[in-house]
Amino acid sequence: MRVTSVDDTCGIAVCVGERGSAIEVMIALVSAVRIGDVLLVHAGTALTRLAPA
Amino acid sequence: MKFVDEFRDAALGEKLSAEIASIVEPGRHYKIMEVCGGHTHTIYRYGIDDLLPANVELVHGPGCPVCVIPMGRVDDGVAIARHADVILTCFGDMMRVPGGNGSFLDAKAAGADIRMVYSPLDALRIAREHPDRQVVFFAIGFETTAPSTALTVLRARAEGIRNFTVMCNHVTILPPLRALLESPDLRLDGFIGPGHVCTVVGARPFEFIATQYHKPVAVSGFEPLDFLQSVYMVLKQLADGRCEVENQYTRVVPYDGNLQALKLLSQVFELRPHFEWRGLGFISQSALQLAPEFREYDAEIRFAVPGIRVADPKACQCGEVLKGVIKPWECKVFGTACTPEHPIGTCMVSSEGACAAYYNFGRVARERVVV
Ligand code: SF4
Repeated sequence: MRVTSVDDTCGIAVCVGERGSAIEVMIALVSAVRIGDVLLVHAGTALTRLAPA
Repeated sequence: MKFVDEFRDAALGEKLSAEIASIVEPGRHYKIMEVCGGHTHTIYRYGIDDLLPANVELVHGPGCPVCVIPMGRVDDGVAIARHADVILTCFGDMMRVPGGNGSFLDAKAAGADIRMVYSPLDALRIAREHPDRQVVFFAIGFETTAPSTALTVLRARAEGIRNFTVMCNHVTILPPLRALLESPDLRLDGFIGPGHVCTVVGARPFEFIATQYHKPVAVSGFEPLDFLQSVYMVLKQLADGRCEVENQYTRVVPYDGNLQALKLLSQVFELRPHFEWRGLGFISQSALQLAPEFREYDAEIRFAVPGIRVADPKACQCGEVLKGVIKPWECKVFGTACTPEHPIGTCMVSSEGACAAYYNFGRVARERVVV
């Protein structure tokens, strides 16, 4: 899923998936998430970065 | 689309299929277990078994999180949901899993407040919005999903949210694999490792399969070319007389896993002494519960849970399917009394269940097209 906004204070990013729907994702397990990063997300938590912005 | 199109290239798939055919020994029958239900889905969605030689058999493993939930745990969840002030939340796949007295969907129809959520974070939001209600998250899944539950519990504690608890059914993948390897029922030649679980735990914990049981392992991604390449890697190891853990899914899986996630899991959870797996029975140290420090978020402590044990229906052969002993179409009720609309067993409920994959992609009989 591609990151469209990041709230570092809350540890939450908004990500958009293949079908265009946006969800809130917890990003505590992936360092320095930025807008445009592609993340592997499972059950609302980012587990790794597939590609940097 | 990046990370998708390049792993679905049909011409490359045919080349890989030919490479595989060139390294198998005629006359030898190979049995390779794909551990993860996501892989089972990939196999039938893309017809991968049709690209393999007839003597390479894919055996489906116990890695579908919904499939392994025993009926008693569903009944325990329903018992909690029947409390007047409770909102029980769960993933969509859980809603139709049969318990001894019906599913969550049946309980919802009978008046219990049971809601589907996409993530535990959604359950926490519901708790925030309903401070007068008790919100319980029915947590399922392997090590891939457990970090999400753990982060949500930490978040609940940081925000001082007291009306949120977790009924924890998280399981771990290695104990059932060890049980399968010890089982005399099954002779396996190698394993396709679960790529998403390995994103968290890494490939290293699977080394015992190679060192102690002398079976090759390839940790695999979920696109068709990922899977075909992983089958090739296992067969190549067998052809070379090697037994190692190889990582096909390097774009996602670090060999040692996600260290932050592993630290988080050991902070929030501890191993249960034993846990019942549907069809597989009790397996020691195969599931997680909240660590003592987080017991106030444990639904099984906050609510009186009956701890029901229910035998699977006589007709149900999910255990044999989950152990890879039989194929779904060998179950007597497959596609007749048991369908995705009216499941008897869990393997027919989840999209990752082997029976659902066979049914949905038309694998209803033993015939197989072999190239
Ligand atoms: S067909 Fe139904 S009862 Fe039989 S093994 Fe599959 S899910 Fe279980």
